Amino acid sequence: MGIKSFYSVMLGFCAFLSASTVAQDIDVDALILASEKAAYYAGDDGRSNARMIIVDGQGRKQMRQFTILRKDVEDNGDQKMMVFFSRPADVRDTVFRVEKHADVNIDDDRWLYLPALDLVKRISAGDKRTSFVGSHFFYEDVSGRAVSEDRFTLENQTDTRFILKAEPKDPDSVEFAYYLVEIDKQNKLPVVINFFKQDGTNYRRVEAVSVATIEGYPTVTRSKVTDLNSGGYTLMEFRNMDYNLGLDDGVFSERSLRTPPVQWLK
Amino acid sequence: MFKSIAASVLLGLCLSAHGQTSDDPWADMDDWEAQETSPFSWAGFTELALGRRLKSDDVIGQNTTLQDARLQLQGDYVLSSSKLSFRGDLYYDGVKESLESQIREWYWQGNLGFLGAAGSHFDIKAGQQVLTWGTGDYLFLNDLFPKDYQSFFAGRDDDYLKAPSLSVKLSGYFEFANFDVVITPEFEPDNSINGEYFSYFSPMTGTLIADEFSVLDSNIPADPEYAIRIYGTLAGTELALYGYKGHTKLPEAADALGNPRYSDLTVTGFSAVRAMGSGIGKLEYAFYDGDDTTGADPFVPNDQSRFLVGYEQELISNLTGSVQWYTEFNHDYEALIANSLWPQYEDEERRHVVTTELRYLALQQTLTLQLFNFYSPTDNDGYLRLRGTYSPTDRWQISAGVNGFYGDETYTFYSQFKDGSNLHLAFRYFFEE
Repeated sequence: MGIKSFYSVMLGFCAFLSASTVAQDIDVDALILASEKAAYYAGDDGRSNARMIIVDGQGRKQMRQFTILRKDVEDNGDQKMMVFFSRPADVRDTVFRVEKHADVNIDDDRWLYLPALDLVKRISAGDKRTSFVGSHFFYEDVSGRAVSEDRFTLENQTDTRFILKAEPKDPDSVEFAYYLVEIDKQNKLPVVINFFKQDGTNYRRVEAVSVATIEGYPTVTRSKVTDLNSGGYTLMEFRNMDYNLGLDDGVFSERSLRTPPVQWLK
Repeated sequence: MFKSIAASVLLGLCLSAHGQTSDDPWADMDDWEAQETSPFSWAGFTELALGRRLKSDDVIGQNTTLQDARLQLQGDYVLSSSKLSFRGDLYYDGVKESLESQIREWYWQGNLGFLGAAGSHFDIKAGQQVLTWGTGDYLFLNDLFPKDYQSFFAGRDDDYLKAPSLSVKLSGYFEFANFDVVITPEFEPDNSINGEYFSYFSPMTGTLIADEFSVLDSNIPADPEYAIRIYGTLAGTELALYGYKGHTKLPEAADALGNPRYSDLTVTGFSAVRAMGSGIGKLEYAFYDGDDTTGADPFVPNDQSRFLVGYEQELISNLTGSVQWYTEFNHDYEALIANSLWPQYEDEERRHVVTTELRYLALQQTLTLQLFNFYSPTDNDGYLRLRGTYSPTDRWQISAGVNGFYGDETYTFYSQFKDGSNLHLAFRYFFEE
């Protein structure tokens, strides 16, 4: 071993040391809470228009267009959500209402309004890792997977990102063995999440494609989820976001299912 | 002639439907902003639907149970805090061989906030509209809004089970409870099985008949219908009280000459729905208080209590199952039988119906499969509905299904429609601005 290689080993070792020192300094629990808050709890409430383009493995396209209203009961806690669909024609005026419970032992309450029948239907709690309205997004990607459901460890970091490994506390309840989430160091938003099977196959990816600061809150404006097995993917774009509108609790009720609050939907 | 026009319109729409292709997957977002500025939006579909009897019906002598070429258009005009909505159907009904139209929605809906702070607690929906409340799946206790069983049995889309009415609905929202009051100035009965599509049992002749009967104008009530619901949530349970004052929705009563008529009816009831275990549990009760208080009048239906309990849960991913137990209790049953003109055909004192449903979403929710079975252990008859709907794009949808009626006797509720068991197929093409 020449002197040069000795130095580089030392250098590498020091780099490793400093990396692990930094790792020890990072409070992973605080980081994932901050990340969850940035991704799902910006402001006290919010609205956004959203459009999804769903592309299946054969290249066939579908579209969903809707408006989301959200109100936090508390940060990193319970939330109320309304999703008003406007496109395509067969889901026009359909409304989805969710009362999300952060306690993993309490199922979310969900209702669906079918306009052609004027029917409000309470929906039983379902597997949260199934398709959200036919897209590659899971219901859980939209409402937020409770961080208490996984064990997080810091796997790595780059200049701009923390890379955390998350393992489910209840492996039987999910289809993944683990996922790697890359969190932006500055705005704390999760920007890439790769899901893996037990054998290390990366079969699913969720990414924030573009981020903008809106009313002071870093906000994902474009995101994409890819089914790496089939090649199918879904693009989602958000527009006309607003935070801290002072949305009344009454907006998140059966009233809004049957009588959409048109002033918040424009 | 009309059929061939409808077919060529449909074909033309399909040919023009080929999507625009682009290298930039985000390009499909481009036309978005322009749409949002307009207060007016519209959409619609055209549909061809066909249904055939599984075996012939000697009384009707026609094997077609459904033959629709349909156009539906809907439009909304959004005002500052209210909206105008329209949904109308124009269709050629090949079974009746006539061009039909139906305005399903044509209403103004908005908040009364412009009347002052107190007004903000109230919403109004006035005009032609479809109305639904209550907890049953395909079973109705406190929901006395008009239904169209002919469409349901023929295999038209579930939307058509509910018929529209010209009504005013006032809704009030308060801290402890909310209410709806619905006034329908002109009585709107159900579209029942009347011999147009399906034959039915006549106790008078003791056989199946298909006489297309209609109710004489003089036997149609002239007074309005009133319906009220008071509801709220208490400790996670959704509770509701209901009331209805109007008339039987089917012409079950008869006048002195034996002509069918709608008798007076008052209904009161309640319901409760809550999360139970990993599913949803529900319970509903309704008391049907008719004109025949002693049960001795054979021309007027007796009072009835209706009761339903149900449970639904997701069994495995994308597969949901539900069960309902429903019972009708006929009050003053001894008097009913003693005075009946045909006691051998009367319902049991307690008629039970058990329903089971399985609903499966497959292929990224582009395929929906539904099995729904009604079975009456007291009548020993039932009705099995199977339906599959496939829609891999936003543009079109194909659906197929079976309505199968079974049972021992010709006079029991489901069994009388055995000859109406049918297979149906529909293709629907959607369009929007």
